[in-house]
Amino acid sequence: MDSLYPATREAFALLMSGDPDLWEIVGISFQVSGTAILISAPVALLIAFSLAYFNFPGRRALISLFNTLLSFPAVVVGLIIYILLSNQGPLGNFRLLFTQSAMIIAQCVLCLPILIAMGHAAFQSADQRAWETARTLGKSPFGAFSLIVLEIRFGLLAALFSGFGRIIAEVGASMMVGGNILHHTRNIPTAIALETSKGNFSQGIALGIVLVVLAFVLNLLLQHFQGRGKLAL
Amino acid sequence: MISSGPVSFSAISHSFGSRKILDNLSIDLEPGKVVLLSGENGSGKTTLLRILAGLLKPDTGYVDTGSGLLSWRKSRAKLISNFIYLHQTPYMFEGSVYRNLSIATSCVRGYENRKNRVLDAMEWAMLGGHRFAEAKTLSGGQQQRVSLARAWLRQPPYILLDEPTANMDSKSARRTLQLLEKLKHTNIGLIISSHIQHQFDSLADDHLELKDFQLSFLNARQFSGNVTPISRDREIV
Repeated sequence: MDSLYPATREAFALLMSGDPDLWEIVGISFQVSGTAILISAPVALLIAFSLAYFNFPGRRALISLFNTLLSFPAVVVGLIIYILLSNQGPLGNFRLLFTQSAMIIAQCVLCLPILIAMGHAAFQSADQRAWETARTLGKSPFGAFSLIVLEIRFGLLAALFSGFGRIIAEVGASMMVGGNILHHTRNIPTAIALETSKGNFSQGIALGIVLVVLAFVLNLLLQHFQGRGKLAL
Repeated sequence: MISSGPVSFSAISHSFGSRKILDNLSIDLEPGKVVLLSGENGSGKTTLLRILAGLLKPDTGYVDTGSGLLSWRKSRAKLISNFIYLHQTPYMFEGSVYRNLSIATSCVRGYENRKNRVLDAMEWAMLGGHRFAEAKTLSGGQQQRVSLARAWLRQPPYILLDEPTANMDSKSARRTLQLLEKLKHTNIGLIISSHIQHQFDSLADDHLELKDFQLSFLNARQFSGNVTPISRDREIV
């Protein structure tokens, strides 16, 4: 405990001084997770919409599958992606292992179930009359879809923030498929794990502070969009 | 206006699970005619209107829009473009009355043209003072007028109205009836489902009753409709 106070003080000093190594790690984290969420969001949106509005064989099984994947351990996702991308794996020729692309793929797999499950719930909460009114007023299926997305935008934003919150803080998959290479694939959670194991608490705490502040901001935005901050009366 | 002539529906049947709602019924519609559809609660009026509008797939059903008898599924796109279905409680999109009306102007080219059309619609529906009002906060009668104004902007051959004056005070109901009268004179076919029949006496040309899963003709001032089942030996495309 004696080392906690000076390490925390040093962590704040590192943050305030604009330490380039530290902020590069923060930048890589945001770049990888931001790209993953941008790639996953449109796919998840279409799947969530299809699950909510179209009846097709296997629909219920798909909903159950995505709900199950919500609790899929990140390290298992990392293991599967590692096997697929390793030299002996079916996608080994692409030479993606230990690159940011591999981390992005793993994070897409991790956030898709959250985006789909929460997106599906948001679409289900939309009034059926909204779709019918849009279609009957001459909107194409895509036009009606766009209108519905606008109507439920707060629920969809909540899904985005939740998905982003999960992948920017996960360590298992990023460590396995990214390799924690400085200047390339070292992100906030993998750096915290490494610096802590080296006994370099100040950098670990500094990065931890960034994650905690991010989690707080995301939670604030979530509360705002989901209306949880409102009083009951 | 989207051009369309008479539309005939035949052999329409629908069940919800084991509960039969409609059984092999037929109905002919013409633009400019007003058909009043009555029936007890749960008799299937809303189900029938949603099938006519292309929103609900019947168990069986055929449609003739002038190009031969087609299955309901093959006619669906045409039904959606030719019919507007107005819910008993209209859905208001988030935003102002102006935005709600502009949603129905997607086929009007040019911002100024769209704006003028929306302003005309507000004038037409007596909504002039509510341009910037949040549509969801309007009264039931005002929302119904927004809904009718959206339909007027689209100018479809047919409008299907599900209990358009339900839960309205007499003043709001009177205003809604005025708008329906105006729509009738623009050669739009109206199919009105209501259990308050006397409100539509002066408006309706035909009066059909939905009872025991079938449509029956009650009376007509100027009868021109035909509710006898269409022969199934017509060529099915």
